[in-house]
Amino acid sequence: MSTVALRGYTVLRAGPASFLLHRRAALAALGLLLALAATVVASLCLGESTVAPGEVLKVVLGQPSPHELVVGEFRLPRVVVGLLAGTALGLAGALIQTVARNPLASPDVVGVSWGATATVVGLLAYGVVDSTGQVPYAAVAGGLAAGLLVYLLAWRRGLHAQRFVLIGIGVSVALSSLTSVFLTKGDGFQAQAAKVWMTGSLNGSGYDQAGWLAWVLLAAVPVALWAARAQRSISFDDATAVGLGLRLDRIRLGMALLGVVLASCAAGAAGPVDFVALMAPQIAVRLARSVQIPLFCSALTGALVVVLADLLARRLLAPVELPVGVVTGLVGAPYLMWLLIRSRRGGS
Amino acid sequence: MLPDTESAEPVQRVSHRLEARDLTLAYEARTVAEGLDLRIPDGRVTVIVGPNACGKSTLLRALGRLLKPVRGAVLLDGEELARVPTKRIARRIGLLPQSPSAPEGIAVADLVSRGRQPHQSWWQQWSAEDEAAVAEALERTSTAELAERGVDELSGGQRQRVWIAMALAQGTDILLLDEPTTFLDIAHQVEVLDLVRRLNVERGRTVVAVLHDLNQAARYADHLVAMKDGRIVAQGPPAEVVTAELVREVFGLESVVVPDPVTGTPLVVPGAPWAATVDA
Repeated sequence: MSTVALRGYTVLRAGPASFLLHRRAALAALGLLLALAATVVASLCLGESTVAPGEVLKVVLGQPSPHELVVGEFRLPRVVVGLLAGTALGLAGALIQTVARNPLASPDVVGVSWGATATVVGLLAYGVVDSTGQVPYAAVAGGLAAGLLVYLLAWRRGLHAQRFVLIGIGVSVALSSLTSVFLTKGDGFQAQAAKVWMTGSLNGSGYDQAGWLAWVLLAAVPVALWAARAQRSISFDDATAVGLGLRLDRIRLGMALLGVVLASCAAGAAGPVDFVALMAPQIAVRLARSVQIPLFCSALTGALVVVLADLLARRLLAPVELPVGVVTGLVGAPYLMWLLIRSRRGGS
Repeated sequence: MLPDTESAEPVQRVSHRLEARDLTLAYEARTVAEGLDLRIPDGRVTVIVGPNACGKSTLLRALGRLLKPVRGAVLLDGEELARVPTKRIARRIGLLPQSPSAPEGIAVADLVSRGRQPHQSWWQQWSAEDEAAVAEALERTSTAELAERGVDELSGGQRQRVWIAMALAQGTDILLLDEPTTFLDIAHQVEVLDLVRRLNVERGRTVVAVLHDLNQAARYADHLVAMKDGRIVAQGPPAEVVTAELVREVFGLESVVVPDPVTGTPLVVPGAPWAATVDA
C-alpha cells in the first residue's frame, strides 16, 4: 500500500481514533499562550505602583498580601474581562470571516457593534438606563438584534456570503447615523457618558461582567469544535462543499449565529472594542500559516490584543487613561490599510 | 417510461442506480427544464450535450443534489435524493463543478485529502483507509509528484487532474463532471477525458459528464443525452443518436456526419461554410 505524507500535519492515533494536528498552528498557539501569560503578568504588575511578580502570584492564589487591593480588586477583574472579551471577539471574527469568506468581514461590519452602540447610546442619551448595571444587557440585546436582522435580510434560500457582508455594511451605516442622532438630540451629560462607552473601555470592569461572558465562551467550545471540522470543506466553493457532504446552510447559520452572540456579549462586557475581531483572525492565520482561519489561535490572538492594548491604554499617557478601543483602533486602522494594500488573500 | 435504447448490447441488462423522474427544474421563477426522465446506466460514461442554456448543467446539478427539483425527483438507489442526508450522498456521488475554487495556498495533497471528508468524523480524521484512498487517487491521476506543490502554482490541466483526484479520493461509484474540459487546450482536454475513460474502464465508475464539444461527447460516451430548451431530445449510443438530422434539430446547424477516422464514432463536420453560402 502506498502512503502519502500530508505536509505540515502530524497524525495522532489512538486505537480507531485519529486526529490531524496542524504543526505550525499548534506551535503558534503555544507561542500565543506564552505571550498572553507574560502580558497578563505585566498587566498585573505595572500601574501607578509597581508590584513584583511574586506578590502578584500570591494575590492570584488567594494568599494574604499587602497588594490585595490594587492587584486583586482593581487590576485583576479588568484583566479577566479583557481576556474573556478578547477571546470572544477573536473567535467571533474568525467565525464570521469564515462564513463570509472575506478577510474584511467582522462583527463591526455585519452590524453587531453598531447595533450594540446604537441601543446603548439611545437608552443612555434619553435616560432610559443609567450608565451602571443595565448597559451590558442593552448592548447584548442590541448587538443580537442587529446581527439577526442582517442575517434575516441576507437570507434568500440560503445564506449568500457576499449578500451577508453588503447588507451588514448597510445596516451598520444606518445604525451609526442613528447613533449620531441620539448623541446630538439626547441629554448632553448622558451623551458624554455614552461617548466613553462607545470607544470600548475596560475601566471599571468587574467580575459581574466576567461571569456570564465566561459561561457563554464555555458553551461556545463544542460549537467551535464542530465548526472547525466543517472549516475543512467550507473554504471551497459552495458546490464543492455540498458535494463533500457539508450541510452548508446549517453550518453557516450556526457559525454566523455563534459569531454574533459572542461579539454581542463582548460588546456588553467591554463596549464595542474596535478592530479586534477583524485583525485577530488575520494575524492568527499568518502566524499559523494554515489554509483556513484557525479558530483557537484567533481566540488567543484576540485575547492577547485586548489585554496588551489595555496595558498600553493605561500606561502610554499615564496618569491619563485611554479607553482600550482607542488603542486597538490606532493600531487596527494602519493594519487594515496594510491588509488592503498588500494582501491577496480571499476577497471573492 | 422511456424506450430502452441500450440495443447496442442486447443481452446484458444494464442497471440504473441514479435516475430522474419527471423532473422540473427552476431558478427562482424561471423554469429551466421540464418533465425530464433519465436513467443513468451503471458503470458507463453518460455525456449530456446541447446548445448553451439548454439546461444540461442544471440537470447535472439536480443529479448532484445541488438544485432541488420543483417537481419530480432524482432517485439514488431507489431513494429520493432530497430525503437522503447529504453526507450519505457524498459517499456515493462525487461531483466536480464547472469552476471549483480552492482555498488559497492549499497544497495538492491537502486538497485531495479533503475528498475524504464524507468518510471522516471529528474523532476519525485520518484513517489508514483515508491515506490509501488519497495515495491511490494521486497515483491514478498522475499527480503524486505534484503532492507537495501549491494548487495555485499549477497549470490548468494539472489543476483539473488534481480536482479529479479529489473526487476520486471520495471513493464514490458515481462521478458527476460539469464541463471538465472548459478552459483547457486540446491536448489537456484529451488528457482529462482519457483519464475519465480509464477510470470508468479500469474501476467501473459510473460517470455523468456535461460536455460542450459534440465530437468529444460522441467519442467518449457510451450513452449520449442530447438536450434542447430544457428537454431531452434524444438519448442512446452515440452511433445511433448523432445524425445530421439531430444536429440540425438540436443545434440548428447543417452538418455532415462521418465516421471518426481514429475511433469510428460519429464525427460532426459543419456543412455549408460561410464562403459557400456567399457563392450560392
